[in-house]
Amino acid sequence: MGIDGLIILDNAGRSIIQSGFRSTTPAYPLLQIDAVNTALAAASRPTDVDPVIQVQHPSNSDIPSACCHVACGDLRILCPISGNVDPLVGFAFLQTFVDILQEYFGGVSLAIVKDNFDVVYQLLEETLDSVGHPLTTSHNALRDIVLPPSLFSKLLNAATANLAAIGGGTPIQGPPAGPFSSQIPWRKAGVKYASNEMYIDVNENLQAIVNKQGVPLTSSAYGKIEVACRLSGTPDCTLNFTNPQVMTDCSFHPCVRLQRWSRDKHMSFIPPDGHFVLAEYRYTPNTNSNSAITRFANPSSTAPSPKEVVPIPFAIKAKFEVEETTGTNGATGRAASFPGTLSATVMLMLTTRPIENVFVELNLGESAHAIKCVASRESGGLGRGLSALESGHAGSASASWSFDSRKKVLRWEIPNVPPSTHWSLQGSFAASTTPPRPSHALQVRFEIQSHTFSALKVDQLKITGEGYKPYKGVRGRSTGNVEWRW
Amino acid sequence: MSIRGPRKGENYELSVDLNSEYREKRKDAIKRVIASMTVGKDVSGLFPDVLKNMQTDDLEQKKLVYLYLMNYAKTQPELVILAVNTFVKDSDDPNPLVRALAIRTMGCLRAEKIIDYLCDPLQKALRDENPYVRKTAALCVAKLYDLKPELVMENGFLEQLHDMISDSNPMVVANTVAALTDIHIAATSSEPSTSSIDNSSTVFHITTAILNKLLVALNECSEWGRVAILNALARYTAADDKESEHICERVVPQFQHINGSVVLAAVKVVMIHLRNVKREDLGKQLIRKMAPPLVTLLSSPPEVQWVALRNINLLLQKRPELLSSEIRVFFCKYNDPLYVKVEKLDIMVRLANDKNVDALLSELKEYASEVDVDFVRKSVKAIGQTAVKIDEAAEKCVNVLLELIATRVSYVVQEAIVVMKDIFRKYPSTYEGVIPTLCANLDELDEPEAKASLIWIIGEYANKIDNADELLTLFVDTFTEESYPVQLQTLTAVVKLFLKKPDSSQAIVQQVLNTATKDCDSPDVRDRAYIYWRLLSMDPAAAKSVVLSHRPPISIPRTTVAPAVLEELIGEIGSLASVYHKPAETFIGKGRLSADAIQRKVGPGEDDESQLSTQKALQTVVAGQQSENLLDFGDEPSTEGGGLSGLAATQTMLAQPAAANLIAGTSSNPLDDLVSIFGNVSMQPMSATPSAAPGGAFGGFDFGQAPTSAAPQAVDAFAGLSATPAAPPQQQQQKPQEDLLGLF
Repeated sequence: MGIDGLIILDNAGRSIIQSGFRSTTPAYPLLQIDAVNTALAAASRPTDVDPVIQVQHPSNSDIPSACCHVACGDLRILCPISGNVDPLVGFAFLQTFVDILQEYFGGVSLAIVKDNFDVVYQLLEETLDSVGHPLTTSHNALRDIVLPPSLFSKLLNAATANLAAIGGGTPIQGPPAGPFSSQIPWRKAGVKYASNEMYIDVNENLQAIVNKQGVPLTSSAYGKIEVACRLSGTPDCTLNFTNPQVMTDCSFHPCVRLQRWSRDKHMSFIPPDGHFVLAEYRYTPNTNSNSAITRFANPSSTAPSPKEVVPIPFAIKAKFEVEETTGTNGATGRAASFPGTLSATVMLMLTTRPIENVFVELNLGESAHAIKCVASRESGGLGRGLSALESGHAGSASASWSFDSRKKVLRWEIPNVPPSTHWSLQGSFAASTTPPRPSHALQVRFEIQSHTFSALKVDQLKITGEGYKPYKGVRGRSTGNVEWRW
Repeated sequence: MSIRGPRKGENYELSVDLNSEYREKRKDAIKRVIASMTVGKDVSGLFPDVLKNMQTDDLEQKKLVYLYLMNYAKTQPELVILAVNTFVKDSDDPNPLVRALAIRTMGCLRAEKIIDYLCDPLQKALRDENPYVRKTAALCVAKLYDLKPELVMENGFLEQLHDMISDSNPMVVANTVAALTDIHIAATSSEPSTSSIDNSSTVFHITTAILNKLLVALNECSEWGRVAILNALARYTAADDKESEHICERVVPQFQHINGSVVLAAVKVVMIHLRNVKREDLGKQLIRKMAPPLVTLLSSPPEVQWVALRNINLLLQKRPELLSSEIRVFFCKYNDPLYVKVEKLDIMVRLANDKNVDALLSELKEYASEVDVDFVRKSVKAIGQTAVKIDEAAEKCVNVLLELIATRVSYVVQEAIVVMKDIFRKYPSTYEGVIPTLCANLDELDEPEAKASLIWIIGEYANKIDNADELLTLFVDTFTEESYPVQLQTLTAVVKLFLKKPDSSQAIVQQVLNTATKDCDSPDVRDRAYIYWRLLSMDPAAAKSVVLSHRPPISIPRTTVAPAVLEELIGEIGSLASVYHKPAETFIGKGRLSADAIQRKVGPGEDDESQLSTQKALQTVVAGQQSENLLDFGDEPSTEGGGLSGLAATQTMLAQPAAANLIAGTSSNPLDDLVSIFGNVSMQPMSATPSAAPGGAFGGFDFGQAPTSAAPQAVDAFAGLSATPAAPPQQQQQKPQEDLLGLF
């Protein structure tokens, strides 16, 4: 009962690697693969396939099963579950496994999996028991059991038999410190580093919807505190924040002592070795902070009070016109095309930092074609910043646009938007057969370096229990995913 | 040994390399064998060669050989026996990894011959000093039980597992719990007659002592261990409300776990034990703490979102106050996959109240302008549901609908008209002003449902529409070409028109009755026409009181499933059942439930409430039966009183398995479930035939009569499930069921 196994499919729907299935019939994994492929073929868009597909056993209806599946790069990974099991366990396991592959190989793709199939097999064996219980998924413990395909292990392979006979230990593993000898399940024992370092990344992702009037309907930042820990021994860390109240709906890595957090908002933990996510939180401004956001939000009856939303760091004005040709409804309109014009302007509202890698996407509807656009920087900044910026970044940051004719998506890319600048996209397109029905929302993705929406600030990171002075670093980074309706 | 292949080809080369004197060459050859195996080439012929490489100090190589063994053990059982010695030797290896690996692999081989050799090493492994070996061994016991239960009993492994719950290592405890749960499930689900083993010892009964150990281990083990322990806690029956409170309080910290499946399992445990918590304030507090983790799940990938949304939908039916202020996180984005959007839409309507209705409506209007037809239709439907749900917002909703009709996009207009019909049902005589607008779109309607809805509106307000007879004449003229629902509606509407304006419509009523009785294929239409005809000719006053009777107002049911089923599903939060919103029995083909099983399921705890709902559902069935006797009019006034007299009948029906089946919403035919999974669970109470539902049962669908309460609604939803009962005793049940449907 539980997770039956794992199947990795290539983009043609063929199985590349699958775990050992306990099931009595060898047809079982094939059925699962077939069910997923059929569902994918039947759907108009692969993203619209239900993520849990019920699979009927041909001979024995007493075996209920369903198949959770996720796309991952050019692979699709299936996780058949049977019995009355939480599909979320399936998805959680899939996510964990993808993370493990990511940690091991630095990426997940067909080529990587094929090149390292022996390691992937071993990982499957170690992470999933054949009766459906996930086993060891902590990266720390796994590295002891399954060697990552590092340069070192390659050297080991090439070296003489004697060397390999040592037991293929990791570079810094003492012989007695075998796997699972550690008292702390998420941290392996006997870690040693020449230089001790700990880096904390605060990554926030803004999820927002902005309505036609430019008022955010919903906007909150989801934060993730990621830690890269290279500390020897068993250090005990305490992380303090100057403004912990900005973090709501927190969830933590199991290493964090929850009592400490609820008592005095200190994150106290013995970290796992390596890279891990320490905590996740949601940020929505509370009532007593941030008066600045009113700038961005006009009061409107349908909008939430401006104090409940995270301000959007930019503003877009979009205009979209379709020329009414005569006889739109008549028979003559059929053959005619419907020319339309569009224009959009992005203004940065942030005064301190540029936003980077801005992607604005617009779905132009089924019949769109003949797209012509000009993406340009309009009038530079306002006021003081103008001349300096013009000279400094004139060549480096130029906007561009492209059109994906398969997905009918117009994409406008601005690599760097310095503070207080205006950028515009002007263009025309044509649509045949029907009046054009472009989506009413621009999808905007962007990044801001060294900035967090919540302004979460690490006050102090104390490391006790070990004698060394580690190097510590904190960095903030923001990404955003905004739907701007027009 | 085995038959050697020709002395050439890939397998031959591999075989040479596998026997090479250089270990690196051998190891490389093993890798190549595995690679061939992966792409489906038959390398079973190399079995003896691979086996020779099993005894090695290189752990990686050993693993690869084991991998090969596991794959081919089924096809070459007689050769696997050769590996036994190495396995037994490995289980004594100084390296715990090797010991664990040997135990795990032996458990996976599923070869009879190996199994007999497994017991001794397993015995040792269960007492191993290394926790990794112990936890691997614990799971191995469950595997062994699956293959040969006798061996587990004979060797006393079960007792040992029970002892291991007290293990000092939390991961061992978690795996032990998982193993015991597996054995419990296997033992309780197998037929008692086929099992030679006394069930009582295999049942994993959680005592108070075990409970406390589990609660301690819960905070220490991995996410998967936590899920296993939480699932075990969900089965525990608390001695009193104090203990329930204690469990809830101890489990609540799990809400902050970073893994969504732990959160969902914790939510399940709290929801189950909350039933016994008597302190109101604590209950409220727990519910409040549940909201943030659920909201957090919505920032996950769409697949996880979907599972979360399905569960949230269920939780909201039980606890509407949960997430009441969080409607905005459910706003749909253009790029969301359709399955996520649809769920969000449903939840948004559920969360609608007079405070957030403005924001909700402007969102729904936005969605109605999108491109995806299905989603647009559902959005329009949601506007109607909002109107029916919130009286104060009805006018705004009507205005939004009018705006949408003005877009003249065909499917939007049609859906809006269907929705308007519901609004007319809920608020009779309030929005007559919009009727001309609706009628203006008459020519553009091509979907039966929209046509039928508009015809119903015309018939209902025949006396206020000057040219009602002209409009209806259009449909009467094409009567035989229309679909049956439209025919039925036309028939009823014309009769209404006649009763309201007898002078001007004599001819048309004559015409329609003639056509319906003479030229129509559908017995339903013919029967109804005859009834009308007879009524009209014998006693027009009676006809008036029947056809133009006052209809009870409709309302949005708070739940999409019957309360008893909801209670069961809440107990299975975070499972397939809760995702499909159907009890496990309906898709896990354990056959149909007996009435006994239902009674047991209802359980002593929540007896009163669910018993009541059960009876109510049955009353409605009986009411349907009675009204069938009265004559099945589209506009039959079904009063709640009808149910009262049916109470006696309720008792007799409870004895019939089919009736019980109906209540639990279970079906013996899994195929039905597949068909209707997504059709029935969506909330479309008064307007729609679930599009995916088996068509036949809904033949008599009539808009004149909508469900009067939640209970019949549940029956409506279930009709799709049990439309084709398999067992003979259910046949007699079929009839009232369909009649009931005819009423709606």
